[in-house]
Amino acid sequence: MKQRTFLTTLALFLFFFNLGIFIVSVAMFKDTLNRGEERSLSQHYFIASALIKDMQAVEGRGGDIDGSLNALLQPYGYLSGDNDAGLAFYKNNQMVFSGKSNAVIQSNFIEPPDNGSRLATIRKVDEKTYIIVSGKLPAPYNSYTLVYLYDTTEAVNSWSRLKNILFFAGFVLSVLFAFGLLFVLNRIFDPLKQISRTSKDIANGAYDTRLPVSGNDELTEMSKSFNHMAEEIQRQMTELKNAADKKQQFVDNFAHELRTPLTAIYGYAEYMQKAVLSEDDRLSALNYIMAESRRLQTVAFQLLEMANLQNNRINLEELKVSSLFETVHQTLNSKLVEKDILIEFSSEIETISGDFCLMESMLINLIDNAIKACDKGGHIYVRAYKDAESKSICVQDDGKGMSPEVLALITEPFYREEKSRNRKDGGAGLGLALCKQIATSHDGELSFSSCPNEGTTAKITFTT
Amino acid sequence: MAFILIVEDEEAINELVKRNLQLVGHRCHSVFDGKTALSQMKHQSYDLMILDIMLPGIDGFEVIKQANEIPTIFLTAKNSLPDRVKGFSLGADDYLTKPFEMLELLARVEAVLRRTMKTANYFESGNVKIDFSSRQVFHSGQLVECTPKEYELLEVLVNNRNIALSRERLLELVWGYDFEGDTRTVDVHIQKLRKKLGWEERIKTVYKLGYRLEAGR
Repeated sequence: MKQRTFLTTLALFLFFFNLGIFIVSVAMFKDTLNRGEERSLSQHYFIASALIKDMQAVEGRGGDIDGSLNALLQPYGYLSGDNDAGLAFYKNNQMVFSGKSNAVIQSNFIEPPDNGSRLATIRKVDEKTYIIVSGKLPAPYNSYTLVYLYDTTEAVNSWSRLKNILFFAGFVLSVLFAFGLLFVLNRIFDPLKQISRTSKDIANGAYDTRLPVSGNDELTEMSKSFNHMAEEIQRQMTELKNAADKKQQFVDNFAHELRTPLTAIYGYAEYMQKAVLSEDDRLSALNYIMAESRRLQTVAFQLLEMANLQNNRINLEELKVSSLFETVHQTLNSKLVEKDILIEFSSEIETISGDFCLMESMLINLIDNAIKACDKGGHIYVRAYKDAESKSICVQDDGKGMSPEVLALITEPFYREEKSRNRKDGGAGLGLALCKQIATSHDGELSFSSCPNEGTTAKITFTT
Repeated sequence: MAFILIVEDEEAINELVKRNLQLVGHRCHSVFDGKTALSQMKHQSYDLMILDIMLPGIDGFEVIKQANEIPTIFLTAKNSLPDRVKGFSLGADDYLTKPFEMLELLARVEAVLRRTMKTANYFESGNVKIDFSSRQVFHSGQLVECTPKEYELLEVLVNNRNIALSRERLLELVWGYDFEGDTRTVDVHIQKLRKKLGWEERIKTVYKLGYRLEAGR
């Protein structure tokens, strides 16, 4: 591209530049000749009119014109006596007088037309350029022809020198122009090169590469939109990567959730098959198998429930908040008593629309989490209230709380605060993911706020 | 035979590993997190450590870094190549992923112990003594002539004592995958071993399964 632009521009420039020089030099040449011609014509006219007066005077004295011609013409010969001019006089195509250079005149003589107009010709003889003006004298002397010769070699030579200088200067300028053009093109194409480099980098995965933005022209504009594109690509790649990471995390956790109970079940079954067992051994192995099976069942059930919630609409009905709270309280009573936790329910609203079973399961999950977070003798407040047109239920505890990083992840399926995924303090890590799903299917939003060592508040805001 | 520390936070699996190791005569100590494991190692010296990676508090990688030179087998759900490489580069002797098979765990424990234990390497039960290093079998102090296959079969039975082994598995372990004979071969060799060692009662035929060497626990 650059080379083509360079060659095309250079060719066009050279063509028009040289054409210009050519036209100028031709015009100058024409001008030189014209000036010579005009000068010759006026000299011719001057001599001719003076000669006629002289001839009339000779006739007035009754003298013979032909005889006195030489004497008459002699002064004019001197008049134009510089080296550049010459004079000749013809009568009926016979030369009767000539100054110098008569050989040139003789060989180039052309009979002028009879109508009194003059003929100017340009001849080149022996490296010299002559302007020859020939014209008949007006009647009654029209048998005489006056030829004036002007040597314009000097002017032509100086024109020729000037022309050479012009072309030489033109050549030098062209070379300078070519270099200048190359420089300018390099400057112009440099950003393009940079853009192609940058896009290659980006294509190779260096998504944080950017073009420098400076100045205020089209290229800057382009750099800006290019950078914008790069930013967009980077953002989307990051998003994709995050999504992939999340998915990988989910798969890893899921695999762990499946693998651990399966390992135990298989291991104990194998143990029972192959080892010599006492009755106690047998019973405890069976207990382990059953407990681990139940664990698998729970995970499968929760996953299924989540999948169902994602796909199906739920039946909304008006639920009495007080009876919902009562059921939840009953279910969790033993755990509450065990940890000596004080729970308070308060409700400012009568009813709420939703699916009873799902709402119950969500509240149980949230309160169960609150119980786990609390130490012995903690407090849990469950409130249902209305603010700014939307109904909310919130579960507040004064337990150990969570850091913001943990808070951001708790609704991810299989997320567990403890990296070892130990089950001592919880299930598979699907509880809050399920809660979130239930809230979403009720057109609600589940949000958490927490401070380490101060407690956590879970809030479900219903938009319907 | 050996004193083994089991570090595994899942109680069911910890117990399972412990029971399996006890079957073949090892003494075991179970701990459920990395911190306890490290403090236990200061008080006791163990011949081997079975170590999970995902542990509460201090994880398995950290434990092996801080443990000094105890032979270690990782037993973990993490089965990705980087984790394996990391495990080995931290000095693990073996790496086993969940779910695992009992026999495999025992075989690997056996192999690591044989590599690392400096004590004399023999097995004694009743009036039979087997010297693993010289591959000799004694019955009431008398050297018993055994064919190489008989000896190998005996070794497998001893290493997996109290565990029933199917005929197919015995074939695979003693004769190798590419052996073309049928399981009758195993029966014949078992008969010969029973006779030579007077182990008619010790090597039990397990109904529908195979054979099991029952030796004192």
